[in-house]
Amino acid sequence: MTSVDATPEATRRPFGGRRVRFGDIGLQLIAGGAALAVTILVVLIVWKVVQGAKPAIEKYGLSFITTVAWNPVIGRELYGAGSFLFGTAVTSIFALILATPLAIGIALFLTELAPKAIRAPITALVETLAAIPSVVIGLWGILVLGPILRTTIEPWLHDVLGFIPLFGPPSEAGASVFTAGIVLTIMILPIVSSISRELFLGVPSDLKEGALALGTTRWEMVRGVMIPYSSGGIAAALILGLGRALGEAIAVTQVIGGSVSIQWNLFATGDSLASKIAASYQGATSNLEASSLIYLGVILLVFSLVANILAQWIVRRTARKHGIVRGGHA
Amino acid sequence: MPKIGISRKFGLAIGTMVALAAVAVVAFIVAGSAGASPRRTAATATLNGAGSSLVAPLVATWSPVYDAATGVHVNYSSVGSGAGIAAITARTVDFGASDAPLSPDQFTACKGCVQIPWALSATVPTYNIPGVGDTRLHLSGPVLADIFLGLIKKWNDPAIKKLNPKLSLPDMSITVAHRSDGSGDTFAFTDYLSKVSGTWRTKVGNNTAVDWPVGVGGKGNAGVAAIIKSTPGCIGYISVAYVLQNHLSKARMLNAAGKYTLPGVAQIENAAQTVKKVPANNQMSIVDPPRSKKYAVAWPLSTFTYIIVPTTSAKASVLRKFIFWALTAGQSYGRKLVFAPIPKVVLVAAEKTLGKIHS
Repeated sequence: MTSVDATPEATRRPFGGRRVRFGDIGLQLIAGGAALAVTILVVLIVWKVVQGAKPAIEKYGLSFITTVAWNPVIGRELYGAGSFLFGTAVTSIFALILATPLAIGIALFLTELAPKAIRAPITALVETLAAIPSVVIGLWGILVLGPILRTTIEPWLHDVLGFIPLFGPPSEAGASVFTAGIVLTIMILPIVSSISRELFLGVPSDLKEGALALGTTRWEMVRGVMIPYSSGGIAAALILGLGRALGEAIAVTQVIGGSVSIQWNLFATGDSLASKIAASYQGATSNLEASSLIYLGVILLVFSLVANILAQWIVRRTARKHGIVRGGHA
Repeated sequence: MPKIGISRKFGLAIGTMVALAAVAVVAFIVAGSAGASPRRTAATATLNGAGSSLVAPLVATWSPVYDAATGVHVNYSSVGSGAGIAAITARTVDFGASDAPLSPDQFTACKGCVQIPWALSATVPTYNIPGVGDTRLHLSGPVLADIFLGLIKKWNDPAIKKLNPKLSLPDMSITVAHRSDGSGDTFAFTDYLSKVSGTWRTKVGNNTAVDWPVGVGGKGNAGVAAIIKSTPGCIGYISVAYVLQNHLSKARMLNAAGKYTLPGVAQIENAAQTVKKVPANNQMSIVDPPRSKKYAVAWPLSTFTYIIVPTTSAKASVLRKFIFWALTAGQSYGRKLVFAPIPKVVLVAAEKTLGKIHS
């Protein structure tokens, strides 16, 4: 840390043609300190996690990633991340596919279509959804949503689309990958729709009116002006949503049914990386199990990082493609 | 001009404060990761404990009584057995509580901890079969094991019908519910299944969490109860106190003596009478009592629950006194909550272990 001379003389002394201003230095220290603290925190977390996973990494190596097993019974211990990695990918992608059109639809409705009087209350309600604790959504998922899905929607999907392996026999007890995907959809919906709404509000009205003046319909204006103008931001919002879906532990634990298997049937039980860690870490019976659970954490870290980089690459590509209108109105 | 001077000084002060705060945060994190947690010095008026949710109602009953009698306040957090073991291992509490005995690795990690059996309870097969009320279903150990192995798939299976000649069982698929988190109930339940079924012993085994052949996992007693309640044709296992509080349907179990029993204080007490000698680590299994007239009313899924304490504790004498009280006078408070009093031979062993705790 550089020391700062605090005498009044020093403050008036010119320094490289400019005065040394302590407000600037203060800001530098505040901002720099905050950034440094976060960086150190992340490094320490990664270091600790990798260190904790070391026994499992040494024992299983990379084959851990593809092994589909989790047996903590002493004497026949075997651990692997395969089914949890699969479960994390399926539930997150499922939630993203379902949440994207819904969130954009909500945002469009609230900015363009809804009568002025109901915009504020609906916006507030959507944002309240984000404030519901995940454990409460999980409880609702297992007590209310699961039974409804099991008795109505799952049998219907199975009857109509049963030829696709994704829609196999309905779940036994309402806890399934499908239920987990819906719960995650509900959890990421408010984030994506709130940001999309802000983005749509930010579309310059001269652009929208220009399009309408050229004789486009409202839908053509939305498709041709609003969505391209906001696409980079919407993609960024989806990344935030994906991050939440990948890392959500408690609500998924409550509704996914905790089983170790890879099944294409969405209505079967499964498990995700974060959910497995949440369910098992505190009761881990052996050092190897505890270490294997931390190894799951390492995989989740890497998985989230890769997903983030991939998503940012997509954002940059779409932003470049539609980069025309940005900036001019900033 | 003076205004600028003030704002400059102010900026400098803020900057210094933030820099110091950042350094402090980093130092704290480093210290924390190095394991140098600050230890509180003996405040002898309170005891803090955490762990098993099964034993929580009993400790909650004890706490005000003990406080009134001795002035020592016992704080107990019902965070689950696994979390309780983690808490006492990190010494963030004065005692932990677990329904399953410590595993060898957990013993090593806890560095000089002892486990003392301090209460007796049970786990219960619980079901939701349309048209079959509470206590109407009769099951035997081997049939229960076959259900949880996925070998018996329907409620009208001949093996179940044979045990329930008077019941009209539906042609309905069986859904198995189990705990997805590590649990003392799972330990007792899989201990029992391993004793009554060779297939279970060789294929699955006994632990606080196992590789389940079939079924749906729920988190905690509440999670399993939610699955059972919302799923017709479902069977699971839940702590007896929780089953009674939530009015879930209990199955009658056939014990080795050939009698059907229900979980109650007398039945659990009878099962505990099988203990003749307590091993050095106090770990005892009382599931599936042997075939004998002496254990005619025994509930075959009974289990001890343990308090876990470090042998070196700043609050040693307060801890010793409290545990001794819990083991003796405290036992009488358990009846209402379906905790049976611990047998004399266990009390003697527990007292012996208590002597190892010193400051």
